[in-house]
Amino acid sequence: MTTKHSAVPTTYSPSPTSRSKPSVSKDSIVDWVRPDGRGYRQCRPAFFRTGAVNAASGSAYAEFGNTKVIVSVFGPRESKKAMMYSDVGRLNCNVGFTTFATPIRGQGSDHKEFSSLLHKALEGAIILETFPKTTVDVFALVLESGGSDLPVIISCASVALADAGIMMYDLVAAVSMSCLGKNLVIDPITEEESYQDGSLMITCMPSRYEVTQLTVIGEWSTPEINEAMELCLDACSKLAEIMRSSLKEVVSGSQE
Amino acid sequence: MFCGKEDKLETMELPNDSGDLGSEMEVDAFRRLFPLRFYERHLAESIRPDARPLSRARDTTVALGAVASANGSALAKIGSTTMLAAIKMEVMTPSVELPDEGCIAIEFHMPPICSPLVRPGRPAEVAPVVSKQLSDTILSSGMINLKELSLVSGKAAWMAYLDIYCLDADGALFDAALLSAVAAFSHLQIPVVSLNDDGKIVMLSEEQDDGNLDKGAVNKEKRKIALSSIPFSLTCVLHKNYILADPTAEEESIMETVVTVVLDSSNQLVSLYKPGGPVLARTSVLQDCVALTRQRIKELQNILDEAISGMEVD
Amino acid sequence: MVGLSVGEKRFIQGGIAQDLRSDGRKRLTYRPIYVETGVIPQANGSARVKMGATDVIACVKAELGRPSPLQPDKGKVAIFVDCSPTAEPTFEGRGAEELSAELSVALQRCLLGGRSGAGAGIDLSSLVITEGKVCWDLYIDGLVVSSDGNLLDALGAAIMAALSNTGIPRVLVAASASPDEEPEVDISDEEYLQFDTSGVPVIVTLTKVGRHYIVDATSEEESQMSSAVSISINRQGHICGLTKRGGAGLDPSIIVDMISVAKHVSEQLMNKLDSEISAAEADEDEL
Repeated sequence: MTTKHSAVPTTYSPSPTSRSKPSVSKDSIVDWVRPDGRGYRQCRPAFFRTGAVNAASGSAYAEFGNTKVIVSVFGPRESKKAMMYSDVGRLNCNVGFTTFATPIRGQGSDHKEFSSLLHKALEGAIILETFPKTTVDVFALVLESGGSDLPVIISCASVALADAGIMMYDLVAAVSMSCLGKNLVIDPITEEESYQDGSLMITCMPSRYEVTQLTVIGEWSTPEINEAMELCLDACSKLAEIMRSSLKEVVSGSQE
Repeated sequence: MFCGKEDKLETMELPNDSGDLGSEMEVDAFRRLFPLRFYERHLAESIRPDARPLSRARDTTVALGAVASANGSALAKIGSTTMLAAIKMEVMTPSVELPDEGCIAIEFHMPPICSPLVRPGRPAEVAPVVSKQLSDTILSSGMINLKELSLVSGKAAWMAYLDIYCLDADGALFDAALLSAVAAFSHLQIPVVSLNDDGKIVMLSEEQDDGNLDKGAVNKEKRKIALSSIPFSLTCVLHKNYILADPTAEEESIMETVVTVVLDSSNQLVSLYKPGGPVLARTSVLQDCVALTRQRIKELQNILDEAISGMEVD
Repeated sequence: MVGLSVGEKRFIQGGIAQDLRSDGRKRLTYRPIYVETGVIPQANGSARVKMGATDVIACVKAELGRPSPLQPDKGKVAIFVDCSPTAEPTFEGRGAEELSAELSVALQRCLLGGRSGAGAGIDLSSLVITEGKVCWDLYIDGLVVSSDGNLLDALGAAIMAALSNTGIPRVLVAASASPDEEPEVDISDEEYLQFDTSGVPVIVTLTKVGRHYIVDATSEEESQMSSAVSISINRQGHICGLTKRGGAGLDPSIIVDMISVAKHVSEQLMNKLDSEISAAEADEDEL
């Protein structure tokens, strides 16, 4: 950090750090009103654009409400020297946040957990046999965090992989769901995530109807899980349509 | 044997010049194998591979307010080099020596997404260099009067955290970073705050604004920062007698001598960097660079003014 | 890493397909589980769990801390897993870092519930002493001593046993004069409160090999897996966390089926663990 003074003084954000709202009791949550006025089953409008970063082999920018993400794909390129020979390709994922991604200024560091979850969500979809001995790097940067960050990163990464021409079985679409009291809300924003009692995220390949990753947090009964999975899978297949059309736009655009 | 191959390629290049554009692959191969000779041939014709004259900078755009979670932000693009700058305002206790001054902390980041040369965990070498140049330039230019960042003398002042992220690296990183930084400052909206009973500065929420604004707010009149003598820069690459303005990453890697000139809006020299390189610049060359910068800052000033007026219309 | 010949691979896969695994078990049979509690005297609670050649230790340490300002009525729990380099040759150096992090995250997901604290296996509000001021911080550390597959289930069982072995000292809070002052606390040396483990879930990992799935896979069997789903289930039969491992995609209907199988298995496992833990506690008391 570079400042005029040698010693950096400690600072604080003038906005209140703890949300002043009283902790939400179970009663008030019976009728959860979504802060952005959406219905429980309504996703935010999704926007994808490929080719956001020219320096990369492929890239994509995704915007879901306030969640904004850029993913760059590099390679296939030479694996690190220390890596042993492998007759299938390697996938290397990294997720970082900008310092201004969150309302309170963060450290802008890498997110280890998201990096490993991104890897797990994608590895089943990529045909690793097509690039033996080499590595494909998938790097994501969250410009602004507005909730459901990980699903947006995963969907955006699969569009970026397609843009880079990496062979995949299918696009990977990801959708998450929050459980607030008795309500299930799809594609939650940050505020909803901070109150959630449980969450569920599905990443899937809609054309093959296969789940590549599923995580559940919090207490759920079996019927609840089944309902949430069905809703998420349905949303995933719709999301995949949007992702596919964003890829087609580029191709038809370049032909003109 | 290697020489022979080179000759062969050159002879293959010749028919290209005389109108036969059939073998594009050979041009590509020549560019990769002998990048310097490839460039020198272009330079001899006073043209660059991307069809620019030597002194022309790439298309430049500025968009303000790209980040909603920041107090001020801007996205600047020069060619494909893209920079996202955002300012977050936090409160600090000013130092004893300078009780009436705020502070600006500037950091330049090169995340792994921006270039194939940057890998996670292995930060780019140039990032801290650009970071230092930026903060030296911005603080020494006198663009911002740090006294304006004071809130309560000796008690509280603003600390402006300016973070610049390189989203796409294609040469002239400093120019784009400085442009995005300056634009972010011109977009900066300082939040209205008040001093609470504990001696802490708190944000006034929108609902409270009407009633409490008069007695509560400590900075009612200082919502915008006045920017005087804004610095702009132009980076040039020197090769033999040629000066190439606003180089791409490829040009920077092939011809290693770089000169960056920073002038402020009244054409005063703020800083000048020539970090080594194989070409020793004559003073006349440096004067040429300054002259190019002088032309360039007029363009940049217009681009910034347009972005600002575009925001005001909205 | 397990190096297997083509013949061995066929043998394992064929055995699973015919419901007779290479060690004689059926697909949904666990290896014998051995539980020992109180293995680390310095800790507030500890336990060692062996399943075949898989051997893990969990220990619980309680320290007084401050609740986070965001959740003043809750204590804090941290779960970390470390893989001993002796457990497997590939764990040497930094080889086990990724696995350790993965196990830690999976356990946190299974035991700590949602962001609001609902559905947590460990009741965080029971850890508060004075709201907003003093609470217990639980540090749960897992150590993999020897690895032969099914680490997550073994760690889950060890943590459950360690928690039921945990005694938290009774704390007396002196009534402070003003609410701003730090309350004075007096930690009792003799009186311990038994930690309530009725809400702690068990973790069942179903490993898919070929078209079938098995419980309690050995590392040889894990090397043949296409994917695995770890489900944590509490006594009410509710799911408290779910993680999928392995790259291959799964049909959603298979996941639903796996959940119902896991639920069935979890009841048996829960009973088995309960009796093993109480036997281990009885053994410990005798000594």
